[in-house]
Amino acid sequence: MVHGEWRVTGRFALLAMLAAAVGLAGCSGHGAPVLRGPDEAAVSIGTSDLRSADGQPLLILDDAPLRPPARPPDPKALPEEDALHWWDIEYAGWRGEKAAQPRPPAGGARGKRVVCLRFMDHPYLTAYSNGMRKVADRYGIRLKTMIANNDFNIQSQQVDQAINERADLVIILPVDAIAVVPMLERLYQNGVPVIASNLIPVDEGMKYVLCWTGPDDWGQFRMLARDFARRMNYEGGYCIVRHMPGGSPFFSRTFGMITELKKIAPKMRLLDMQATGLQAERTMQVTSDWITRFGPELKGIVSADDSGAQIGIDEAVAKARREDIVRVAAGNSKVGMDAVKAGTLDAITYQSAEADGALPMKLAGDWLNGKPITRPVYYLPKHIITKEDVSRYMPAQW
Amino acid sequence: MRSLRLFARYRIYLLLAAVCAIMAASAPNFASAFNAGTILKSASAHLLPAAGLTFVLVVGQIDLSFGACMTLGGMLAIGLEPSLGWPGGIAVAVLAGLGIGLANGALVTVARVNSFIATLGTMIIVQAAAKIYCHGGTLAVHDFRLHHWLDGALLTVLCPRALICIGLALALAALLHWTTIGRGFLLVGANPSTAWFAGLRPDRYVAGAFVLCGALSALGGAIFAASACAANPTMGDNSLMLVIAAVIIGGTSMKGGRGSVAASMAAVFMLVALIDGLSCFGAGFEAQLIASGSVMAGVVLYDAFVARRHELRRGARPHLMRSG
Amino acid sequence: MTAEARAVRPALRMRLIPAARVVSVILLLAAAGRLISDRFLTIPNLLNTVQAVALLGIVAVGVLFVTYTGNYADLSVPSIMAFSGIVAVSALRFGIVASLAAGLCAGLAVGVVNGIAVGYARANPIIWTLASGSVVGGAIRWLYSGSQVYPDSQLPAGRIFLALYRASLFGAIPATLCVLALLAVAAHLIMTRAAYGREAKLTGAAYDVARMSGVNVKLIVALAFFASSFAASIGGILLTSLNKVGAAYIGGGYDFLAVTAVVLGGVSLAGGRGGVAGVLGGVLIIGVLRNLLMLLGTDTFVQDIVQGAVFILVVGISSLMLRRAGRDDA
Repeated sequence: MVHGEWRVTGRFALLAMLAAAVGLAGCSGHGAPVLRGPDEAAVSIGTSDLRSADGQPLLILDDAPLRPPARPPDPKALPEEDALHWWDIEYAGWRGEKAAQPRPPAGGARGKRVVCLRFMDHPYLTAYSNGMRKVADRYGIRLKTMIANNDFNIQSQQVDQAINERADLVIILPVDAIAVVPMLERLYQNGVPVIASNLIPVDEGMKYVLCWTGPDDWGQFRMLARDFARRMNYEGGYCIVRHMPGGSPFFSRTFGMITELKKIAPKMRLLDMQATGLQAERTMQVTSDWITRFGPELKGIVSADDSGAQIGIDEAVAKARREDIVRVAAGNSKVGMDAVKAGTLDAITYQSAEADGALPMKLAGDWLNGKPITRPVYYLPKHIITKEDVSRYMPAQW
Repeated sequence: MRSLRLFARYRIYLLLAAVCAIMAASAPNFASAFNAGTILKSASAHLLPAAGLTFVLVVGQIDLSFGACMTLGGMLAIGLEPSLGWPGGIAVAVLAGLGIGLANGALVTVARVNSFIATLGTMIIVQAAAKIYCHGGTLAVHDFRLHHWLDGALLTVLCPRALICIGLALALAALLHWTTIGRGFLLVGANPSTAWFAGLRPDRYVAGAFVLCGALSALGGAIFAASACAANPTMGDNSLMLVIAAVIIGGTSMKGGRGSVAASMAAVFMLVALIDGLSCFGAGFEAQLIASGSVMAGVVLYDAFVARRHELRRGARPHLMRSG
Repeated sequence: MTAEARAVRPALRMRLIPAARVVSVILLLAAAGRLISDRFLTIPNLLNTVQAVALLGIVAVGVLFVTYTGNYADLSVPSIMAFSGIVAVSALRFGIVASLAAGLCAGLAVGVVNGIAVGYARANPIIWTLASGSVVGGAIRWLYSGSQVYPDSQLPAGRIFLALYRASLFGAIPATLCVLALLAVAAHLIMTRAAYGREAKLTGAAYDVARMSGVNVKLIVALAFFASSFAASIGGILLTSLNKVGAAYIGGGYDFLAVTAVVLGGVSLAGGRGGVAGVLGGVLIIGVLRNLLMLLGTDTFVQDIVQGAVFILVVGISSLMLRRAGRDDA
């Protein structure tokens, strides 16, 4: 070729390669590292091709290093709006002091029996179990799921049943972060390896488990708070619709937001927070009453749920013709993503149910194959979904 | 016919045996001493409220607030343990349950409010009070010694907690059937005017039944929370429906005058064994709902059938009916 | 009316107390509201309050029939609501009419079974409806594999379905309130004018007397559960439309809330007493009370305590007053 033509062709080739690289990076979600089993070469179990129902990769992980701030001597003495007041809950398990863990049984993962103890029944958890099953099938693991109807008496009974069955590994989604500790101790004393998932047990319980995996509720809501504050121009009054009492999102999805806003937007004021059972009609009434009571002072609403509760908020806002109110929520259900697409909901957090279920099974499978677990907690990646990228997460998982 | 009558009286024990037999035959790992111990341990949380509710139903009333009493009892036991120790915490819990029972009793006997309504109201109030006490979170203790003792294996299948609850419940069964006071409850429920003429004061017995139910539920909640080392605002909710179903399946009539604490206990064991067996299969939540619903429906229809037959024969000359 | 009839007719006091209590409580709350916030008595606020409890009103009007005939409550209402909603959503591809009909039939089927079990087989209504609610809840989860079903907004039927809850008459009156008004008027006419109403009153008040007087008590009770499931199905379809998804958890809590409203409204659990107006009053009390407490800025848990306390107070005081006026079976 002539020198000049080569240069042009070379540039086009370079551009093409760059475009391909960018395209591929875009395809792998939002840049989150895709989990590759390090033993893949050894045991030929590939999982990086697995996808969840929304087309995103199934196994994703936030591998940022765990560096918590220093623990204050008495967190509970600090005011509630101070982030360090919640240190024990937010950074549970980060310190990673573990009791001596059992060794994996011989024979690898294939054919081993894993029991998953789920705290209740809900469409999110149906998707969770689907993700878990996809990975279990890939490893040849026999998975049995027991459901506890949100009652830690039943969960305790099912823990005993798992011990009775001599399960090779237990993946437990605790009904209650504190009440699960005696159960974890019991499993440990009977030599059953445990991976905790979705709801993190308190520090005392974390020493009995191999690790915990799940969404980073506190971190997500801090990210959401930064987005929210930006949209609110760092000033104005806001209200929070809380999650149900008795669970950890009751605190993380409330005080994660409050403590972060206190730091980055001190001019923003919390007007009120209510728990509405996440029901649409109740939330609708509460939001209408907020609008009546606070009027133009109310500039933003944060919701712990982007489906039922958010619908109530949107209905009330539409009726009062206050579409100016900034709205953010914890996601990501189909209803929430539709609202983001339609423009009524400004931002939601990303929480892949199938990835939430797949990750502990992946770690379990690798551990049974002999790979040690290195971190005490594994978080799912955090991301804020907005109108610009919502279509990448459709069709919704649940 | 006599065998049919025996069947009707002891049907809950037969049902319990049937459920256990079916599960033992088909569910993997069900038939083991360890699993039997698990069932007994798990059911012990519901035994005391079931005994208390039996008394309330026997006097012809109903109590919907006992689940909330359990929750509050558990919360108080855990919350007060650091300052008052376990005996103090549990004592306060029982006192609180007593107080709630007294309030229920007063509403029903003095203000003459229907017990369904009165206890619905107290249930709402007590649930909210429990949530306020714990600020919506879970209370916990970090000292597991009591837990280890309560849940440790004593005899192969019984742990101290199960033994305590079963023992107390059996004592209450003896109270109901073998003491004058207990028979007083039965008479007040069956025929209040006859009880009045016999010198009993029906109002005292009705109020007493509520007080007993409240105190027992709070004690049950406290013992359960002590063994779990934690109390959370929704801990009594599941117990509510399970215990109501168990007491009625056990044969205690809502009309009053007839009841058996032992039968209520057997029904609690049956329902817990059912869920345990279904979990052995790894069956989904829908199986639990459909199975427990079907058992309840079957028992209730059978009861209705028996009642109808009895009604058809009522008024017939009994001395001519040898089989009655 | 003859002198004899006048003599046995209950004193005016006794007849007015149930109605009076609802009206007086509402007036009291309205006065309190006026004191708490000057925005309370505005049309938007009142409309919001009423619309928030409109679905509860629809369901309560149905449960009224069950309580009126002396059967305490219908605890299968939440499951019927979820069932009718999810069946309607999954039938949307056959058109909106077919979808609504399917949802309605699904709910009514449960009501028919309830009616047969409690009306004809005389099963215990509380335990039976608890059991049937449980079985239906399990059936929903099994049939739909534990997932939720979304109305397809690409279909015209889907768009109509989603608009059902949000529609309004003349742009101002919400559709839910219209449906509630229609149902309430129909229920009131049935209870006061139709033979069913008289027979239900007797059935509820004195079952054996009714039976021996020739009233078809079994059919009366069965129809009561049919009516309850009808109202619950309509409420469930509207609630599903609001939530934009058919799911097993739709309708949770409506069983006890409906009974609370019915009892607040003066319908006696002993049966045979009360009316539609009372039920609507009870629903209104619940809504206004919540509105007031929110305007006051109380915490949710405190709101629940106040609601429970008001409930007990209202029922207790009116019980005492009825007793003073001579009635001993309040």
